[in-house]
Amino acid sequence: MTPAARGPRQWRGLAIGVIAAGVLLALPGLLTRDLVTALFFAFTFAALALNYDLLGGFLGYLNLGQGTFFGLGAYATFILAKELPAIVARFGLLALAAFAVLAGAITALLAVMVSYPLFRLRGAYFAMGTFGLFLLVRQLTLNLDRLTAGSFGIYLPSGDYVDQRLAYTLMLGLAGASLAINSVISRTRLGIAFHAIRESERAASAIGVDLFRCKQIALVISAIPSALAGCVFGLHFGYVDLESVLGIDKTLFPVIMAMLGGTGLVWGPVVGVALIRVIDVGLKNYLTLPVPALVVYGLILMVIGLFKPEGILAGLGKGR
Amino acid sequence: MSVQTLLELVLGGISLGGIYALMSLALSLALATTNMLNVAHGAFLVMGAALSTFLLRHTRLPWPAGLALFIGFCALVGWLFERVCVRPLLGRAPDRALVGSILITFGFALTFEAALGYYWAKFVDPQPTFSLPVAMPPFALFGVSLSGTRLAILAFVGVAVLLFHLFLTRTPMGKMARALAQDYDGALVLGINPQAVSAAIFTLGILATALSGLFFILASPLGPHDGLRLTLIAMTVIVIGGVGSLPGVLAGGVLLGLGDVFTAFLVGAVWSPVTYVLVFFVVLLLRPEGLAGIRHT
Repeated sequence: MTPAARGPRQWRGLAIGVIAAGVLLALPGLLTRDLVTALFFAFTFAALALNYDLLGGFLGYLNLGQGTFFGLGAYATFILAKELPAIVARFGLLALAAFAVLAGAITALLAVMVSYPLFRLRGAYFAMGTFGLFLLVRQLTLNLDRLTAGSFGIYLPSGDYVDQRLAYTLMLGLAGASLAINSVISRTRLGIAFHAIRESERAASAIGVDLFRCKQIALVISAIPSALAGCVFGLHFGYVDLESVLGIDKTLFPVIMAMLGGTGLVWGPVVGVALIRVIDVGLKNYLTLPVPALVVYGLILMVIGLFKPEGILAGLGKGR
Repeated sequence: MSVQTLLELVLGGISLGGIYALMSLALSLALATTNMLNVAHGAFLVMGAALSTFLLRHTRLPWPAGLALFIGFCALVGWLFERVCVRPLLGRAPDRALVGSILITFGFALTFEAALGYYWAKFVDPQPTFSLPVAMPPFALFGVSLSGTRLAILAFVGVAVLLFHLFLTRTPMGKMARALAQDYDGALVLGINPQAVSAAIFTLGILATALSGLFFILASPLGPHDGLRLTLIAMTVIVIGGVGSLPGVLAGGVLLGLGDVFTAFLVGAVWSPVTYVLVFFVVLLLRPEGLAGIRHT
C-alpha cells in the first residue's frame, strides 16, 4: 500500500483489529477447554506460517526449516530450566520468561550464522538446504542426550507455571505480532526491496539493493517469533521432545498453510492456517471416515495444488 | 581394522551409495527437465519395496511373473503420476511450478504413506516392514569373502546406470530431455515436445526408483514412512553432485553411502544422518554448484 492510501481506511483497519483482538482475548472464558486448545494450535501455526512467509513469500526463498527455530527456542528454554533448577524454583515464571528471551537471542544468533552458507543457494536448492538443517538439528537433539535427554524429552519439574489462559494469550500475542511485522514490513522500503529481490535478483542488485543483507534480515526477523512460539508451546505442555517441538509437521505445515492461503500476501498465511486447522480438527474430532484422516488431508492438498497453486487469496485483489 | 572388515565396509558403502545414486538420478532428471520438485520421490522407492515384498512373499506367484507384474504396475503408476500430478503444471512460470509441485507431491506423499501404512497393517501384516531376505552365497575374492547380496545390488546399479546413460546419450528421447534441461526455451524453439519428454522421464524414473526399492530391501528393511527421509537423501545427492550430471550424482551417492557406512561403524549408526548434512554443507561451502554441476545463473 502506498503512503497516499493512509487515512480513514487505515483507521478502520485498526479499529477492526482492536475489536478482533478483544474478542479473541475473551474467548477462553466462553469455550470448552478442547476448543481453546484447538485455537492455541491455530495461533502457533499462524505465527510459524507468517514468519515463514516473510522469507518464503515476500522474498521468494522457500524455507522448509522454520520448525528449526521453533524447536531451538523450546529446547533452549527447557535446557536452561533443567540446568538451573535453583533459579526456576526461586523466581518461577520470571525465570522462565528470562530464559525464553535468552532462547530467542540464541536462535537469532544461530539464524545469523546459518545465513552465510544457506544464502549461497537459491530456488529448490535453498529449500533443500533449509530442510537439511532442520534434520541436522533434529538428529543432534536425539544424539546429544546428555544435554537434551535424547528421545525421552525434557520435563519441567511439577508446578503449573504457564496455565492455558496465559499460554493462549501469549501465543495470540505472538501470532498478532507476526502479522503486524509482516504488515509493517510490506509497507516500508525494506518490503519493497524484498519484493524487488523476489521479482529479479539481478535487477534488484542493479538498483542498489544489498541482496545478502536483505535475506539475512528477513531470516533473523522470521526466526525470533518462531523461537518464542516454541518456548510458549513447550511451557504450556510442560515438556519438550522431538515429536512435540521438532516434529516434521512444525516445519512443513506452515509452508503448506502459507501456500494454501496465498504466499507473499500479508493475510495469506492466516487464511491458510484457519482453513487447514478447521479441516484438521473437523477430520480428527467430528467426522468418522472409513479411511485415515491423513489420506483425506493429502488429497485436499493435491487438489489445491492442482487447481489453485497460487493460493486462495491470490487474484482476489485483497490481502496485501 | 582388518582387510576383511575394510572391504566389507567399502562394498556396503558403495552398494548403498549406488542405490542412492540411482534414485537421485531419476529425481535430478525430472527436476532438470520439468522444474518440478517431487517431494514424493522417496515414496516411490517405498512403493517398490512394498510391492515387491507383497508379490514375492505374500503371494504364490512364481518370481518371473511377479517381476513382470511389478514392472508393469510401477511403469503404469509413473505414467499416471505424470499425467495427474505433473502435466497440469508444465509450462507455468518456474517459481509457480515449483510451489505447485511441492503442494501436489507433498499431498501425494502424505496420502500414499498414510494409506500404505493403514491398509498394510489391516490386510497384510500388523507390523508394516518391507524386506526380502534372500540368502545369496558369499563370493570369495583374493581370500576375502564378500556378501553376495551386496554384489547383486552393485551389479543391478551398474546395469541400471549404464542403461540410463545409454538412454540419455543414444536415444532421441534422452537427447530431447538433455536439451530441455540445458535450455528450456531453446528446446521449445527446436520443436521439442516437453509433455512427451516429461511423460517418458517420469515413467522411466519412477520405474527405476521402484526397482531400487526392491534391491534396497535385499540388504536392509524399510517402513511405510521412510519416503520423506529418502527424498531428502536424494536431494542431498543432487546438491552434492549437481543437477543433471550423471557422474556427479554417482560420486555424490557413493560419497554419502561410504560416509553412512563408515560413520555407523566408527561412531555409531545414530550419527550417520549427521554425516549426510555435514557433507552437504561442506560441499556447498566449497562448491555451491555441486561437484560436477554447471553454475546456474
